[in-house]
Amino acid sequence: MINLEKLTKYYNKNARGIIDVSFDIKEGEIFGFIGPNGAGKSTTVRTLINLIFPTSGSGTMMDLDIVKDTVEIRKHVGYIAGEINYYEDMTVRKFLEYSGKFYKVDYEEKLDYLAEKLELDLTRKIENLSFGNKKKVAIIQAFIHNPKIIILDEPTSGLDPLMQTIFFDLLEEEHKRGATIFFSSHILSEVQRICDRVGIVKEGYLVKIEKIEDIMKTQAKNVRIIADGDIVLKNSHIAKMKKTGNIYTFIYTGKVNELLNLLHGKEIIDLTITEPTLEEIFMHYYEREEK
Amino acid sequence: MKLLIETEFKRNFKSLLLWTVIVVGLAVMMLAMYPAFASTMEDIGALMEAYPSGFMEAFGMGEGGLDMTEPYGWYGIEGYLFVTLIGGSYAAILGSSILSKEEDDSTIEFLLSKPISRNRVLFGKASVIIANLTFMNLVLGIVTLIAFALIGDFEVLIWFLYILGGFIIQLIFSSIALMISVFVVKSRKVMSISLGLVMGTYAIDIVSNVSENLEFLKYITPFEYVNAVSIAVDKQLDLLYMLFSLIIIIVSGFITWRVYTKKDISV
Repeated sequence: MINLEKLTKYYNKNARGIIDVSFDIKEGEIFGFIGPNGAGKSTTVRTLINLIFPTSGSGTMMDLDIVKDTVEIRKHVGYIAGEINYYEDMTVRKFLEYSGKFYKVDYEEKLDYLAEKLELDLTRKIENLSFGNKKKVAIIQAFIHNPKIIILDEPTSGLDPLMQTIFFDLLEEEHKRGATIFFSSHILSEVQRICDRVGIVKEGYLVKIEKIEDIMKTQAKNVRIIADGDIVLKNSHIAKMKKTGNIYTFIYTGKVNELLNLLHGKEIIDLTITEPTLEEIFMHYYEREEK
Repeated sequence: MKLLIETEFKRNFKSLLLWTVIVVGLAVMMLAMYPAFASTMEDIGALMEAYPSGFMEAFGMGEGGLDMTEPYGWYGIEGYLFVTLIGGSYAAILGSSILSKEEDDSTIEFLLSKPISRNRVLFGKASVIIANLTFMNLVLGIVTLIAFALIGDFEVLIWFLYILGGFIIQLIFSSIALMISVFVVKSRKVMSISLGLVMGTYAIDIVSNVSENLEFLKYITPFEYVNAVSIAVDKQLDLLYMLFSLIIIIVSGFITWRVYTKKDISV
């Protein structure tokens, strides 16, 4: 559905955007695009909607070329930009009608439905909206025409937790309807929440594409032990050992029964083994790539 | 494209109305003063003779130039200037802002995520410029037509050339401003450059009228292309100058199109 082949963008000789980014997103997939600010997420997104032109490489969406067929592509794409800037002098309703009319489809019903869900006042002027409310306008204009592809660049920033939940519900509805979703974010927990696969970007390179479940399934575990007195724990699978008082925390990458064997006979008061968060795994990837 | 044009026209309509009132108001006010001046014209003629010839040349009133005692000469000196200079400034401001404002305000990221090509964005915006200038000159045309008719002997050709001349110089300034705006994105910067161009070429026009050594400069100022003397005295617009005007509009239009459809939009 979305396919990039060695897509490269340099703004000028020294300003790197992205380098050799390739991926293939299947129809109906929710693809997370993760990396810190400045990694090249927005560059990728803006190339997808042809706001900027690739330096080399190519891309297609729905088998249409992202440069040549951009207008045809945009008929079926809903896009939420990282920064929301709309016509300040328009009322929300006027703006959304303007937005909807571009698609030559009936949008009124969907507009009202989304506005009600998001509790957005349509009579206000854009200039008087808070950041969070602008984001709601952005969500509506992106979903209004039932797009086949939804491209999101940091969509939840500015939304309070309640609204975030509503947003994810709406996104889930779009997904059920059949939309393919490209979700760019630096917040891993939200990607973890809905994505099937994630691509991890770093300094312009796509370093890894993994299934969320595979990432979560890596053997690394967070281990926390409360011991009665000092104990000695040594094993090649133990990393990042931290000791505060009699509390030991570390990451364990080996098999759990080996860990239990290691602990056997020692004075252990409490033992907790937890799945690492995506954040932690992510840091792990970054560090490993650096080595 | 119709949607864009409609929306854009509506958004710019208030400012269009304001500028139209200013330009037409000033031009007509000067025309309205003509009868009062005409009655004391002999004294004024004597007064004018007292001015240095350079001054008279500067405003097109030298030998073979505009005759202030005639309505069309009077309009050429007192009213037409507002159409070319202030109307030209409006055209420059409109050309500077209509496209670059989207980029400057970053609303272009929204617009270009909709199914509309850059071609159509550009042609839509250009159409709004032309529509606005047409509106302004249409109002001016109707009002001056009535005014000239009231003053006396109505010459349709001169009246028409005055309107056409104003329209042409406004088109020139707006197309140059539009071209600058695809290179320099900040609306304010584009605007000061374009307005500087209007004022600068006006100053050049005056200088080229006064100094024989600098007469060659007249070829680079649009104010000369549509000057009142050739309209009121020769009853024509110079063919060579019209060609220049056409070339400027076409070339700047082409460059605008070429650059805008190929460039990275920065937000």
